[in-house]
Amino acid sequence: MHAPATSTRIGQPVPRKEDLRLITGKGRYTDDMNLDGQAYAVMVRSPHAHALIRSIDSAEAQAVPGVLAVLTGFDFIEDKLNPIPNKTFSMHPAEMPLINFDGTPAFNVSDYPLPADKARFVGEAIAMVVAETIAAAKDGADRVVIDYEPLPCVTYTVDAASPDAVRVRDEHDNICIDAQVGDAEATAAAFRSAAHVARIKTWVPRVAGSPMEPRAAVGDFDAKTGRYTIYTCSGSTLRLRRDIAIVLNVPEPHVRLVIRDVGGNFGTRGAIFPEQPLVGWAARRVGRPVKWTSERSEALLSDYQGRDLAVEAELALDKDGTFLAIRGSNVGNLGSHTGNFSMVQKGVEIMSSIYRMPTAHFRARAVLSHTAPTRPYRSSGRPEVIFVMERLIDLAARESGLDRVELRRRNLILEAELPYKNPFGMVYDSGAYHKVMERTLELADWRGFAERKAEARKRGKYRGIGVANYVDTATGIPREKAELTVHANGSVDVVIGTVSNGQGHETSFAQLINEWLGVPIDKVRLITGDTDIVTVGGGTHSGRGMRLGSIVIWHASNKIIERGKQVVGLLLQKSPGEIAFSNGLFVAAVGGQSMTLSEVAGAVTSRTDLPPELRGPLMAECDETINDAGFPYGCHVSEVEIDPDLGNVEIIRHTTVDDVGRAVNPLIIHGQTHGGIAQGVGQALLEHCFYDASSGQLLSGSFMDYAMPRADVLPFFTTEISEVPSTTHPLGMRPAGEGGTTPALGVVINAIVDALSDFGVTHMEMPATPERIWRAIRGKPQRSRIVPDAVEQQISLT
Amino acid sequence: MPTVSITVNGELRSAEVEGRTLLVHFLRDHLRLTGTHVGCDTSQCGACTVHVDGVAIKSCSALAVACDGASVTTIEGLAVADQLHPMQQAFHENHGLQCGFCTPGMIMSAIDMVRRNGHDLDEHTIRTQLDGNICRCTGYHNIVRAVQAGAAAMRER
Repeated sequence: MHAPATSTRIGQPVPRKEDLRLITGKGRYTDDMNLDGQAYAVMVRSPHAHALIRSIDSAEAQAVPGVLAVLTGFDFIEDKLNPIPNKTFSMHPAEMPLINFDGTPAFNVSDYPLPADKARFVGEAIAMVVAETIAAAKDGADRVVIDYEPLPCVTYTVDAASPDAVRVRDEHDNICIDAQVGDAEATAAAFRSAAHVARIKTWVPRVAGSPMEPRAAVGDFDAKTGRYTIYTCSGSTLRLRRDIAIVLNVPEPHVRLVIRDVGGNFGTRGAIFPEQPLVGWAARRVGRPVKWTSERSEALLSDYQGRDLAVEAELALDKDGTFLAIRGSNVGNLGSHTGNFSMVQKGVEIMSSIYRMPTAHFRARAVLSHTAPTRPYRSSGRPEVIFVMERLIDLAARESGLDRVELRRRNLILEAELPYKNPFGMVYDSGAYHKVMERTLELADWRGFAERKAEARKRGKYRGIGVANYVDTATGIPREKAELTVHANGSVDVVIGTVSNGQGHETSFAQLINEWLGVPIDKVRLITGDTDIVTVGGGTHSGRGMRLGSIVIWHASNKIIERGKQVVGLLLQKSPGEIAFSNGLFVAAVGGQSMTLSEVAGAVTSRTDLPPELRGPLMAECDETINDAGFPYGCHVSEVEIDPDLGNVEIIRHTTVDDVGRAVNPLIIHGQTHGGIAQGVGQALLEHCFYDASSGQLLSGSFMDYAMPRADVLPFFTTEISEVPSTTHPLGMRPAGEGGTTPALGVVINAIVDALSDFGVTHMEMPATPERIWRAIRGKPQRSRIVPDAVEQQISLT
Repeated sequence: MPTVSITVNGELRSAEVEGRTLLVHFLRDHLRLTGTHVGCDTSQCGACTVHVDGVAIKSCSALAVACDGASVTTIEGLAVADQLHPMQQAFHENHGLQCGFCTPGMIMSAIDMVRRNGHDLDEHTIRTQLDGNICRCTGYHNIVRAVQAGAAAMRER
């Protein structure tokens, strides 16, 4: 437990301001929004993974009492609306660029929110029924007759990359990008000189981000002004408004976007989803507001999914265990849309993690398949490749006979070597990689493990321990803006382009204001998520909320202080240089006269004797484009116990040290780490979006089939914060939202493999279900119903 | 359409509903008590948990007409005037929530757990008996702490 907060400044574990409304049922989630005269939409979704849409007959549906409209992709095109735009790459200057090896442009095609030609995954929305009530809309949806011609499909990543695979788009094969990065020649030479080579072929399966609030959107259209208002849940404001305006074929100011409380995101609602523009369009067509709320089965079918990376990789070492090179091939599954290639961009550029790696070479492909589209999911790409790297090190330890911790010590980058450019061109800023690992090992009592293992064996249990280091690349939309207004009553309004999806911005951003302007946190009002007020900003993704938010709030606060000093100097007949500011008070160095920040805010709006440039509300803004990346890093140790008769895994302890550079609110940061660990453990042990390979049907279509982590599969965690200031951030901060997840896959599987080492097990595919573990213990192939034989045998990528 | 009369948070509320109306939709759509959430539709996630005659149930799994004459407490009915219920206070102090969507159900379940098991709840009891409530944000760590603290605080109430 943390010591309670002693103030509300930076660094204090301040309980959250937003809690009060959320624990009393006064949250304002999208489905809580109700507009007068509102109608309800229900989507008719494709039962086929791949099918031609021959025709749609809506007559019977239209006849259902209460049904107002049945809308299809044909109507959408007739109304001259546009497909959904994609942003396939991160163009952030700190990011590794990804280009086709033959120089051709990457394949990118936009999809309609309601396709009129073909269905390309089970669950794709094909028609929308709008009615007086949800029940009537459902009754109508049951009566929409869609004449499909089912076609063969491809779902698994490696199958989809095959040259003779069924195509998702007629005009192009499934491979949207095929890039080569690093130095092939130097890498080949390094491998020729290697004393040891560790190899892995693996598949990091697809998971469903599953925020607890199902997606929802309410659309309203004002016929007089031609303006749409969309209420929805998202990680972004202005980018989403732009994309909705593109789809609705109107100028951006004709769309107002409102985001209130958001019940989780994790990347699944970082980009525009089809229903957001559709409710606006429907509202215009029926002349009434229209609400759509996803059910959970719809969410599992049609939310943006995450991960799904097939990897073949090799690590070369010399006889002492020094890393010489890494090489391999990553294939990421995009699903049916060319939405985002992050899994092979972010998912290659830190393949070598925070280890010294003289050279590397990777092939990176992103492929289409007849499955739901994938998007970046909590720490996009990085948990996958950190899993591979940390597994390779344990495999190398086994192959070379060297100790796995010693192998990490030998190759971890030293503090003196930073900044360090990795073989993919990424430049790590600063950090104490060794200290953090040693501290984690100490906290986890690594040395005492042998004793605990022996004790467990007496009870018939097999105990294992694993360690994994990690680094994250935090980039995202580089531009952010803050507008601060100080009022005469002492309150401060902060308008900013980020949006909280549960991370507690109302509290942590208020702590910044308390630190810099001395204003109590309950007098700080954070205003986000309404494009009528917020004019610039990138939203919440890639660890950018606090990282960029702090910089623009800091600069704007400094502008407020500078202007205050001028005003106070003038009123007290001093020069601004003689005025000091701290804790909300301007004080003259000589004489000691003072004015509070709120008195200054009052003076500038009421006094007429000030020069014009100092008159007017005490406000300041900062609009900056910050092109530096952040590199949070850390270490996890996990300890598990396996019941050999049942194959069950129990996580006994999970210990982490995460470097956040400078902690603003440790209470929130530890919470982020806890939740991140649970999502990583979920993927390692339980979760899998399981598509039947022959039919493309999603068989994990409800929470009865999709295994979400519950309270009884997790222990209390030991989490510690390290604060080595980042040199790429003016305040030293690193993001804290993804570190819990990034190494969790690797560390849990390393611990399981360690526990099973006596059985000769060297690797475990995810999710490590009891069945798979039970088979591994008995020397049977790990194949199970989870991954068809064919897929495991086909993971051959070069 | 049948008329149902349910005492909700101490107030008698009557409405005409379709026979197929679930209790959760009666609360959310007819009474506009939107603190009770729908998270899964298959009674797995517990976001819709309310108390009916003092016992926690998943309001997505009960028809409104089946609750005719009953007394229902929702998350909106826990705080007395400005005084938070000890379990609400414990979730706040222990950072037992992030996005807050599962939180009303968690709190309603936790209070019922105290009714069933008393005020001294060990970690194992809390974790196993919370398996009908899913949270995606917190990893449950601070929820378990909050339930433990809230249960103890309820004794002093």
